[in-house]
Amino acid sequence: MLDNFFNPKSVAVIGASRKPGKVGYDILKNIIQYDYQGAIYPVNPSASEILGLKAYPSILDVPDKIDLALIVVPPKSVLETIEQCGKKGIDVSIIITAGFRESGLEGAKLENNLMKKAKESGVRFIGPNCLGLIDTHSRLNASFAAGMPAKGSIGFFSQSGAICLAVLDRALPEGIGFSKFISMGNKADISDTEIMLALAEDDNTKVILGYIEGISDGRKFLEVASQISKKKPLIILKAGITSSGAKAASSHTGALAGREAAFDAAFKQSGVIRAHTLNELFNYALAFANQPLPLGPNVVIVTNSGGPGILAADACDKAGLQLIPLHKEIVDELRTFLSPVASFYNPIDILGDSGSDRYEKALKAVLKDERINALIVLLTPTAVVDVDVTAMAIVNISNIIDRPVLTSFMGKKTVESGIKKLMQYNVPNYSYPEEAVSALYAMYLYNVWIKRQEKTYLELEGLKEKAEEIFSKVKEERRERLTETEVHEVLHAYGFSLPKSLFARTSEEAVTAAKKIGYPVVMKIFSPQIIHKSDIGGVRINLNNKKDVENAFFDITTHIRNIMPAAHIYGVMIQEMIRDGKEIIMGITRDTQFGHMIMFGLGGIYVEVMKDISFRIVPLSREDVHEMIRETKTFPLLRGVRGEAEADIEAIEESLLILSQMAEDFPQILEADINPLLVKKRGEGVVAIDARFTVGGE
Amino acid sequence: MVPLYIGSTGGYTGKSLVSMGIGYKLKKDGFIISYMKPVGILPIKVNNILTDNDAWRIYRSLELNDPLSEICPVVLTQELALKSYLKDVKGLLTKVVKSFNLLSKDKDIMLIGGYGSIYTGSFLGLQGIRVIKRLQAKAVIVVKYEGEYIIDYILQARKDLGDRFIGVILNRVTEEYKQSAEEYAVPFLKRKGVAVIGVVPHDSIVGSITVEELNEMLGGKVLCCHHRLGNLVEHFLIGAMQVDKATEYFKRTRNNAVIVGGDRSDIQLSAIESGSICLILTGELYPGEIIISRSEQKDIPIIVVREDTYTIAKKLEKLSIRLRLRDKAKVARGMDLVMQNVDFRLLYEKLGIKIGQ
Repeated sequence: MLDNFFNPKSVAVIGASRKPGKVGYDILKNIIQYDYQGAIYPVNPSASEILGLKAYPSILDVPDKIDLALIVVPPKSVLETIEQCGKKGIDVSIIITAGFRESGLEGAKLENNLMKKAKESGVRFIGPNCLGLIDTHSRLNASFAAGMPAKGSIGFFSQSGAICLAVLDRALPEGIGFSKFISMGNKADISDTEIMLALAEDDNTKVILGYIEGISDGRKFLEVASQISKKKPLIILKAGITSSGAKAASSHTGALAGREAAFDAAFKQSGVIRAHTLNELFNYALAFANQPLPLGPNVVIVTNSGGPGILAADACDKAGLQLIPLHKEIVDELRTFLSPVASFYNPIDILGDSGSDRYEKALKAVLKDERINALIVLLTPTAVVDVDVTAMAIVNISNIIDRPVLTSFMGKKTVESGIKKLMQYNVPNYSYPEEAVSALYAMYLYNVWIKRQEKTYLELEGLKEKAEEIFSKVKEERRERLTETEVHEVLHAYGFSLPKSLFARTSEEAVTAAKKIGYPVVMKIFSPQIIHKSDIGGVRINLNNKKDVENAFFDITTHIRNIMPAAHIYGVMIQEMIRDGKEIIMGITRDTQFGHMIMFGLGGIYVEVMKDISFRIVPLSREDVHEMIRETKTFPLLRGVRGEAEADIEAIEESLLILSQMAEDFPQILEADINPLLVKKRGEGVVAIDARFTVGGE
Repeated sequence: MVPLYIGSTGGYTGKSLVSMGIGYKLKKDGFIISYMKPVGILPIKVNNILTDNDAWRIYRSLELNDPLSEICPVVLTQELALKSYLKDVKGLLTKVVKSFNLLSKDKDIMLIGGYGSIYTGSFLGLQGIRVIKRLQAKAVIVVKYEGEYIIDYILQARKDLGDRFIGVILNRVTEEYKQSAEEYAVPFLKRKGVAVIGVVPHDSIVGSITVEELNEMLGGKVLCCHHRLGNLVEHFLIGAMQVDKATEYFKRTRNNAVIVGGDRSDIQLSAIESGSICLILTGELYPGEIIISRSEQKDIPIIVVREDTYTIAKKLEKLSIRLRLRDKAKVARGMDLVMQNVDFRLLYEKLGIKIGQ
């Protein structure tokens, strides 16, 4: 069905205009001008002919079948138009008209009515408030953009029409080709995921590129993106990440901008290649569209000057790409034609007096090393180098090898024609070496992603039943928070180890409890009004004898009575003191777009300051937990530093999987924190020292 | 020996400060005095002796030499509270009388500080009225004057105490109530035969709190300027307005602490620049480096708390009525107020004592 958007046999422009400068005119003109092969029907009640085509007063007056309707009428007429499209038997339309959700409350109402009407009429639509779409293969330019991009293999969709225009304006002079170009507008009906799927199935599209501000169904996005990314690279620029960016997003297309952590996790888990700037989006697209993927991290850099070579080497090092030294025989070969002051070790500096022949010889030589997975060629416009000839030499080499070649011809005027040649023959060129490295790195990561084995999940059965009673009791009592005892029961049901603990009302009882548990012990205040016990001095650790316990009881209860007179103190909990472990934190949060996420981080009192945490969206696979632990900066601490024993990382992984299961079992969990979770030595497991659960908003 | 009980009809009216001031003046006038607080609610251990924090401060400031263990015979610890819930604890009044007898020996005046109001304490069998009658003390009632209902309380207290009642001190009279107290309440009480022994104005320094205490009460974390935790906060302001209005608002109020969301760096900066003396950042949100370095330059401590602005403001409202006598500057100021505004001639006459006898 979506095929009618891209490859319609006939198109109607409803609201076509005779006046140049009007959107209804520009669209019709674009369709005609760029040589669309199907039938075109302008619709305008007060014109009999527009741009040499017969015009019809209404869509219902068109005698023939219409595949695609472009709607450019004023907002108040859109509903009626859609209804007529339905009557005419048109399946798909593009609503260019603005003045809907993006314009305020009235517009939002109108958009809701439009959605209802379209559904009733059986018409699917892109937009409203969009630029239209372009398909270079069917030669349909159903947009009011200025110009038509070259035929190519990049499929681009964007929530912002302005970004579409900017991308197009850059693509035109640089000769960057697109397969399809879709402005999504308010996405009231056809969603990003539907377009992504259409592009995934499109044979003309090799790389999918997207600009999104917000998405409505996070789960669906995750599912579709994971499916597509295995087939084709999916590169997305997500705007509205920071809080000030988010403000602009909600007043822009009215989209709800998702939270950074959720998107970050979603992209990682679904293999989406994330661009952080428009420049990156372009750079990645060029590399993916024109060059094969590198099968490994080994890069060789060939340059005619030292500085840029070092910059590229630094960037490789930072990204994790390897500059391995070449085989001795190759170095020996290089020595036969390079000056002795050249650099023979990667990066290879063939010096500033190099001409195109030396470039060619050097490139051919280094590629003989079969361990090399990718080639980066840098060129500074010296007086001796013939830029165009060198460019063609690189093109010729690139054409016969199945390894990626990326270039950076630096400068502007002198290198311009050479760059054109490179681009023309599918060798992407970048203004600066770091950009080439960053694009290559994105390709490398994508190759790792597609080579990765299918995700595996932990099968956990029968845990839910034991905790169900607790959660339904909380619901019945309309509480938002689980009591400490309930938290313990839930954690216990899911197999978490907890420190031994006993309740005591008086110091005598506390001493008895401590004896039962065995010294040393921890004492915590027990009061329904006190959640963050240690914040207000309600926790004492390392109590070694009767006297310690008695004093701690007096100190804690007195202190709390003094600073929180309204809190009712039931007594204290005496807990086994777990020593020799590392504190970590893990928890469950719920994102409005993606649902439950699991958090992991190194714990302790600095967690809120350091914010060294990672997130993944539920359900978590074994691979997800493996990555999310290793992604934190403080991960090496778990491995052990300076002779410390390694912490039980496997137990952490399993705990994260269990939490993921718990989140799936109980959708009502709004937030859960196990903080701290003490990790013992390898093989000794983890102990949940303290935890909190909040439910609600189901 | 004359026993003088300083009681009230509600908590937190400033009894301790009044006791301290009266005790100081009595000593200065040559009387031999002692002090006790039958029931303490702020347990503290001094050299392993369980006593009450306020009582201990009064004991020290009056430079008494009596055994500290007797100053506060009954301290309401968590343990004692729980025990009285579970079964009646007997013999507490006897214990109070024993300490009273021991301390009052060879004294001219025995000061007795009440806890809560004269109606509280039944829970332990130590209601204020019962203690006053048992010790045959003369009672001065300290009230925080806030309108007619307080007058009702005073009249009721006189009825309940009978001839033990000798007069009233209107304490912490704010600027708004000053005129009403002078023109209506005092003449009315006199007409009803109630001796008004003093009218003590409210003072924002006496009502202030140090940043350190504040942090402890709120369970926060101090981020910088630890050497300025002694700053006395007199007023609290909420930073929730547009930034262009903020500066003016902050500048109007002396020695203020601003409660503001940790993510509102604009408001935080304008508070720092307009002379606030403490920032309370809510929502467990940590400020940027710029804020911290700027407040370090200006010596303004920052407290980060977990709760939201509304909860913190609510907590502080409760807190402001139960300030404690901790800071030296505050105590000195408070004592001065008592000295200047209590009619000691009338008090001595009611107690039946004379200087130099």
